[in-house]
Amino acid sequence: MRLNPVGQAEQGRSAGYQPHEFRDAERAPFSTRIRRKPTVLNRLIYDCALWLDATAWSTLLHESYYMYSWVETTHVLSLILSLGMLFLIDLRMLGFALPQVPATTIAQRLQLPMFIGFGVMIITGLLLFYANPVRNAQSVWFRIKVLLLVGAAVNALVFNYRMKQSVAAWNHAPLAPPHIRSGALLSLMFWILIVICGRFIAYDWFDCSHGQTGIINLFAGCIDGQGQF
Amino acid sequence: MVVLGLALAFALSGLRIDAWGALLPLFEWMETSWFGVIGQTWGAVFAVVEASHLVAMALLGGAILVSDGRLLGLLLRDVPVQTILSKTHRLFVIGLLVAIASGIFLACGVAMKLYYLPVYWFKMLALTAGVLFAFTIKRPLLADGVEDLNPWVVRAVAIASLMVWFTVAATGRWIGFSG
Repeated sequence: MRLNPVGQAEQGRSAGYQPHEFRDAERAPFSTRIRRKPTVLNRLIYDCALWLDATAWSTLLHESYYMYSWVETTHVLSLILSLGMLFLIDLRMLGFALPQVPATTIAQRLQLPMFIGFGVMIITGLLLFYANPVRNAQSVWFRIKVLLLVGAAVNALVFNYRMKQSVAAWNHAPLAPPHIRSGALLSLMFWILIVICGRFIAYDWFDCSHGQTGIINLFAGCIDGQGQF
Repeated sequence: MVVLGLALAFALSGLRIDAWGALLPLFEWMETSWFGVIGQTWGAVFAVVEASHLVAMALLGGAILVSDGRLLGLLLRDVPVQTILSKTHRLFVIGLLVAIASGIFLACGVAMKLYYLPVYWFKMLALTAGVLFAFTIKRPLLADGVEDLNPWVVRAVAIASLMVWFTVAATGRWIGFSG
């Protein structure tokens, strides 16, 4: 069983789970009624995660101390590469980094290392998910992280579109116009929250095995009576 | 050379073991300090500070990668070296200060575990080497520009800087898997 830095056990695959049973669903508390009726999407996610979990490579990766640790270390190091470049681009737009260098020079030249970092980060991130698919798929923090990643991607597309539309007018200015600055600020916020959620995944506060409240069960996609975590 | 000589003398002599023993009361105190109690009591606070540590490392890493990438001629080749070095140094210092401050808080939460963990001391040695290298070798050497320097010296400085900070980040991550 893996231990997080404060010595708390990170949840594996085999924790016990005894769901509450109610003979009369109408009289059961609201929170429990939510748990008894998983949405179609949550059931689908759970079934897919179970299928992934049953593959031999998933077990091998999860059980391999060195391979798992190397993948996670590579994930963090590629995060430093990609976020390091992204922070410099965003801080340039906000006027905090390299203000005398044209904005397009910074954005275009740092894009390649940033994308290389993102590529490695996505591959290692998928491997980390694959190593423990059921628990990750039912992690509240993982789900928030995915939503934030989608938000960050949409923000990046809007940011690039707006930048291409207007950059000729302010390329050499030390400070980008307000609509570009707001995009850069939003990007910084998205990524800081993504890092926080990514770190929180290691903790078991809202794991299905702990018997959560209804709203957490719904959002985490806990399935009543599920045998795997 | 003096710094390197002192470091080697420290590493190879009994001073290293004496220093380690002398630090035990400090680590015991750290675990019972306010930071230590907060870190052990509120896992969420510990986790948020861990994330701040990572974000600071990303800022620090970005500043190092851009400055060393420019010295190696891999990044921003049409921007003067001095411009890159002077402007990324401020980000490097901010990232380093936040990483050290958050690192002290995290260390207080698990002080006794870290005290007996070899990889933690490897990280501290790498961090000390990185800070000394940045402020006593790299910055003074490149302060007057790189035009008068042998290009291989400039490349060696950049590669040494990348290697030492890579070691800091990798050993830092490995602390999480140890103990």
